[in-house]
Amino acid sequence: MVGLSEGEKQFLRGGIEQDLRSDGRTRHQFRSVYVETGVIPQANGSARVRLGATEVIASIKAELGKPSLLHPDKGKVSIFVDCSPTAAAIYGGKGGEELSMELSVALERCLLGGKSGAGAAIDLSSLVLVEGKVCWDLYIDALVVSSDGNLLDSLAAAIKAALSNTGLPKVNVVLGASPEEQPEVDVSDEEFLQFDTSTVPAIITLTKVGKHYIVDATSEEESQMNSAVSVSVNRNGQICGLTKRGGAGLDPSVILDMVSVAKHVSQQFTSDLDSEIAAAEASDE
Amino acid sequence: METTTIGGGEGATGMAAHMEVEAFRRLFPLPFYDRHLSKSVRPDARTLDSARETTISLGPVASADGSALVKIGETTMLAAIKLEVMTPSTESSDEGSIAVEFYMPPICSPMVRPGRPAEVAPVISQQLSDVIMSSRMVNLKELCLISGKASWIAYLDVYCLNADGSLFDAALLSAVAAFTHLQIPLVSVNEEGRVFTVSGEQQEKTKLELVNKEKRKLSIGNTPFPVTCVIHKEHIVVDPTAEEEAIMETSITIVLDTLGNLVSIYKPGGVGLASTATIKECISRTKRRMQDLKIILEEAVSVMEVD
Amino acid sequence: MAASTYSPSQGAERRQRQQQMRRLSIQSDWDRSDGRSFIQCRPAFLRTGAANAASGSAYAEFGTTKVIVSVFGPRESKKAMMYSDIGRLNCNVTFTTFATSLRGQGSDNKEYSAMLHKALEGAVILETFPKTTVDVFALVLESGGSDLPVIISCASLALADAGIMMYDLVSSVSVSCIGKNILIDPTNEEEVCQDGSLVLACMPARNEVTQLTLTGEWSLPKINEAMELCMDACLKLAGIMRSCLKESANLSN
Repeated sequence: MVGLSEGEKQFLRGGIEQDLRSDGRTRHQFRSVYVETGVIPQANGSARVRLGATEVIASIKAELGKPSLLHPDKGKVSIFVDCSPTAAAIYGGKGGEELSMELSVALERCLLGGKSGAGAAIDLSSLVLVEGKVCWDLYIDALVVSSDGNLLDSLAAAIKAALSNTGLPKVNVVLGASPEEQPEVDVSDEEFLQFDTSTVPAIITLTKVGKHYIVDATSEEESQMNSAVSVSVNRNGQICGLTKRGGAGLDPSVILDMVSVAKHVSQQFTSDLDSEIAAAEASDE
Repeated sequence: METTTIGGGEGATGMAAHMEVEAFRRLFPLPFYDRHLSKSVRPDARTLDSARETTISLGPVASADGSALVKIGETTMLAAIKLEVMTPSTESSDEGSIAVEFYMPPICSPMVRPGRPAEVAPVISQQLSDVIMSSRMVNLKELCLISGKASWIAYLDVYCLNADGSLFDAALLSAVAAFTHLQIPLVSVNEEGRVFTVSGEQQEKTKLELVNKEKRKLSIGNTPFPVTCVIHKEHIVVDPTAEEEAIMETSITIVLDTLGNLVSIYKPGGVGLASTATIKECISRTKRRMQDLKIILEEAVSVMEVD
Repeated sequence: MAASTYSPSQGAERRQRQQQMRRLSIQSDWDRSDGRSFIQCRPAFLRTGAANAASGSAYAEFGTTKVIVSVFGPRESKKAMMYSDIGRLNCNVTFTTFATSLRGQGSDNKEYSAMLHKALEGAVILETFPKTTVDVFALVLESGGSDLPVIISCASLALADAGIMMYDLVSSVSVSCIGKNILIDPTNEEEVCQDGSLVLACMPARNEVTQLTLTGEWSLPKINEAMELCMDACLKLAGIMRSCLKESANLSN
């Protein structure tokens, strides 16, 4: 928990009202984003993202699996977030568990799209190798190393960076003679298929402090929030997920306004992030 | 013991005149009940050997193959059966099986909280399973589909929605009612040996070979009916509420089947000991109550058939 | 043994129905399987006082979605909890094993529990029961679609029945986006093939949204349209909830 004195609270709120936050940013300005890819050699793809003092790591592990009976034409993706107790004391024990689950659910909601698969950032049908028999299972694991607010946005950015760092090995599948026989799988260790991450949305969390909303809030600023709305926006400016956080109620018109602000901010952030990812990929090779 | 506690026994009786009824009930539950029982009446105006109003409604859960909602007073039980297919074991290749589970979700009582399940739940679960199997109410051979290849397993799940005493009675009654309501789906077998359901439409369109055209209902044989009594001094109190169970610690649960055979007697410890005469008395109470329960169940079935 | 059993209900049949829904969804106008129009909710049945062991309780039935919620407390917080000036709200959602068409495990649903908590915490006046906890426990007897909104509405009714102070009743409605159309209060069948969904919980008298989640791809005007639809339905639902409470109050008098 962030303990702030009355004076500090006043200073923070006053700054936000005058569009000059305590670290010199304007209300709709992100902290500078730093991306490093390929940080975990064993994983198929990985990335470290830093937003100010918030640091997260995401890794992608791909395994061959069998599609579920209900969706034989789709691969499976699971997202798991772990909040390290070293990042903040409250993450130890049950507090961390709850936050981890909340973040995992929010990420799944904005990356995996509707139940029919529409609007998904990761095209699940592209993960299928042989319908009903073989598919890729993607395990997305993210770790919060250090926390200074805006975890969700950083996690989404890290997952995007990790996905663009991911190469899935080329697989040759030889079907058995009878339908019951398990197909033979030959995994190549030379040829890799690159992941298309252009559809992966960015998550923008708007935190409402007083009458105004700010993006990329620090922990200090988050402690003053009434409520927050996380919006994920893809490249086309379509909204592909939204979660409201914080207890206080919001007027519907305010929510709509927040969404349109998020949409506007996302363009700048996405292009910044993309160039950072490209630079990181270049230095990695 | 009660006379030695502070304000218990005589002292409490003396104070009673100056106290509101509800306060007296809370502070001195034993004298409160003693005075009632000596006049052969209970706080809810029942006589000692009468049960609370009992209702059965069949088929409240559409997603299950058979279901029943039973209320005994405020105690509410929801039982539902889902049928799945299994490969029978080699020893009993022409029999199906029944898996019973009893749940006390946190909604049913202030004593149960998430992560801290009720201690009695597994006990009742086992009792239910024992009684259902030993009463031979369901002929397991009727659950067979293809001898040695496939048979039904009936997952019976009983949920306590509100706990107010005599949980086992309500649970068993709901289980019996759910089996009476059970409707076995029409099934056919594909090339891989998997059993699948056939809807009415499909049956007309395709000429699928049906496995169980005749066996759509179970012939429920001897139905077991339970009655729980609590013993307090020389009194036998039938169908106790949660409050009565908490105060009078010795309880006896008798299960009889429709032919009058004794299926089970259960007397879990308690401070009091029950004499054989008391047990005989309990059995005769059960016989009387069984007639009522039988009629209630028959009525529930006939209401269902009219609908 | 349990692992080797399977439900005979046919996957193929269900898939066929889904494909049929898909085909329908491309067209701009089609009939919902239960004959409702796109902006028509299922008939709601609400009742308070379903379980007397609790401080307050409510039962809700929307089509085949059946939910029972009990509220306990305010009562002593768990021993490990720190001192707190304001009360705590503890929510838990469980499904019965027979709630879904395939037999489930009957375990807690952590995601729904968290969402229920978020939808209610803004409405309950926690200052009125310092140091103590109010437990809201929901059991889904049968899942027939739009489960979470039904749980939320039912829970706020149970809180009112328990006499817990609230700024307003919370009512909740969801919509599914299928093809070009927005369907209110979707059934299971419709939810399975939805392209997107929006769940909104609000306090209608204050015109405040307490919880909003959205999945799938949406444009801004479409969000606006869906939210208006939900707010309108929430207002009507709150009216039904209010009359249900009045009725039970009259009965007890």
